Amino acid sequence: MKLKTYLMTLMLFLLFFNGSIFIFSVVTLKSSMDSLRERSLAEHYFIVSALSKDLFAVENRGTPLQPAMQTLFQSYSKYYAKQNVLLEISKDGQPLYSTVPEEERLTGKSDVPAAGTRTVTMQKSKSKEYIKISGQLPAPYQAYALAYLYDLSEAAASWNRMTTTLFAIGMILSALLAASLLLLLTRIFKPLKQFSMASRSIAKGEYGNRLNVAGHDELAEMAESFNEMAGEIQNQMKQLAAAVEQRQRFIDNLAHELRTPLTSIYGYAEYIQKAPVTDEDKLTATDYIMSESRRLQNIAFRLLELASLRHSEIKREEVVIAELFRSTEATIRLKASMNEVELKWSSKIDKLAGDRDLLESLLLNLTDNAVKACGPGGRVELSAYWEDGKKVISVQDNGKGMTEEQLSHITEAFYRADPSRSRKDGGAGLGLALCEQIAFCHGAELAFSSHPGSGTAVKVTFTTST
Amino acid sequence: MATILIVEDEIPINELIKRSLQLVGHRCISVFDGKAAITEIERQTYDLILLDVMLPELDGFQVLETIRNIPTIFLTARSSLSDRVKGLTMGADDYLTKPFEMLELLARVDAVLRRTLKDSHCYQLDNIRIDLDSRQIFDNGQLVECTPQEFELLNVLIKNRNIALSREKLLQLAWGYAYEGDTRTVDVHIQKLRKKLRLEERIKTVYKLGYRLEV
Repeated sequence: MKLKTYLMTLMLFLLFFNGSIFIFSVVTLKSSMDSLRERSLAEHYFIVSALSKDLFAVENRGTPLQPAMQTLFQSYSKYYAKQNVLLEISKDGQPLYSTVPEEERLTGKSDVPAAGTRTVTMQKSKSKEYIKISGQLPAPYQAYALAYLYDLSEAAASWNRMTTTLFAIGMILSALLAASLLLLLTRIFKPLKQFSMASRSIAKGEYGNRLNVAGHDELAEMAESFNEMAGEIQNQMKQLAAAVEQRQRFIDNLAHELRTPLTSIYGYAEYIQKAPVTDEDKLTATDYIMSESRRLQNIAFRLLELASLRHSEIKREEVVIAELFRSTEATIRLKASMNEVELKWSSKIDKLAGDRDLLESLLLNLTDNAVKACGPGGRVELSAYWEDGKKVISVQDNGKGMTEEQLSHITEAFYRADPSRSRKDGGAGLGLALCEQIAFCHGAELAFSSHPGSGTAVKVTFTTST
Repeated sequence: MATILIVEDEIPINELIKRSLQLVGHRCISVFDGKAAITEIERQTYDLILLDVMLPELDGFQVLETIRNIPTIFLTARSSLSDRVKGLTMGADDYLTKPFEMLELLARVDAVLRRTLKDSHCYQLDNIRIDLDSRQIFDNGQLVECTPQEFELLNVLIKNRNIALSREKLLQLAWGYAYEGDTRTVDVHIQKLRKKLRLEERIKTVYKLGYRLEV
């Protein structure tokens, strides 16, 4: 592209530049020829009239015509020879007196011009070029004709010199232009080179590369939009990577969640089958088999629930919030009192449109988590209120709280704040994933705020429900 | 035989491993998190550690860093290659993926212990002494003549004592994979062993399953 532009521009320039020089020199040549012709004509006229006057005067004095003419011709031709002019007087086409050298003598008989007219011809001898004006002398000497030959070689030489100089200067200018054009184009194309390098690096996966934006021209605009594009790509890739990572984590966690109970179930069954076991051993083993089977069942049900929620419309009915709180409290109370956690609720909203069972499940999960997070002496508060014209249900506890890092993952399936994934607190690790799905189905948003040591607050903000 | 530390936070699995290892006569101590494991290692010496990767407090990799000169087998529910390579390059002796079979656990424990324990490889059963190195059996100090195949079968039974082994499993373990014999071969050899070594009371027939050497 750059090379092409360079060559094209250079060629076009050279064409026009040299063309102009050529046309200029041709025009100059023509005009100088014209002026030479005019001058020659004028001079010829002057000589002819002066000569005839002199002849007339000399003849009046009684001098015979022939010698007088010869004398006059000699003095005239002497004078004009200095100006590169050759003169020739002829009678009836036969030259009488001439300063034209023999070898330069033009071949053939020159035509006798008609009376009162003058002819202008270009004559070329062996080595020189002449402009020839011939015309008769005025009466009474009309038998004589004067030819005026102006030597053009000097004019031609000076024209040649000028043309040569012009072309030489043209060559130098062309070379200068070629060099500066190359520099200019390199400068102009430099951003394009950067573009191609940046796009190549992005294609290679280095999404962080950006172009420098300088100035306000088209290139800067292009660089800006290129940077925008690169930023967008980088974002998308980040999101994609995060999604892939989350998916991988889900699969890893699911594998772990399934393998752990399976290990126990298979192991204890094998133990009963192959080891010499007492009745007591058998009871312990079957107990483990049963509880671990229940755990698997729990995971399966929760996963099924999640999957079915994702694909079905929920029914919308009027749900009395006070009732919802009351039934949640009834379910959780035993567990709360066992953990010495105080449970309170208050509601400033009457009703909410939604699926009663799902909302209760949502509230139960959140409250259960809150109770688990509290130690003895903890407090869990359920409340419903208006905020910015939207209905909000919140569950607040003063338990152990979570870090930012933990908060960002808690709604992921199988995520556990405890890195060992221990099940001391029970649960399949799907509760909050389920809560988020339920909230999503109700057009609600789930927001968590927490600080380690100062408890957690969960806000369910119903954005579309009335 | 050996003192083994089991570090596993899942109580049912911890218990299961303990029971399995006790069947073949190992002494087992159970701990349920990484910190307890380190305290336990400092408190007494162990011949082998079975270490879960995902543990509360300190994870398995962190615990492994503090362990010096004790053979370790990793236990994990993660079977990805990178996890396995990480465990092995960090110095674990073996790697066991959940779910595992009892026989696999015992075989791996046995393999690691055989490499690291340099004690005499003899086994005493009532008044019968079995020398595993010279592959000889003594009854009250008297050498008992037996075929290599009979010795191998007894060896397998001893290694997996208190565990019922099916005839197919016995064929596979004592005769090798390539052997295409009848499971009746196992019955014949078992009868010979019982007679020669008076082990009628020890080698029990397990109904519909196979045989078990009870100790």
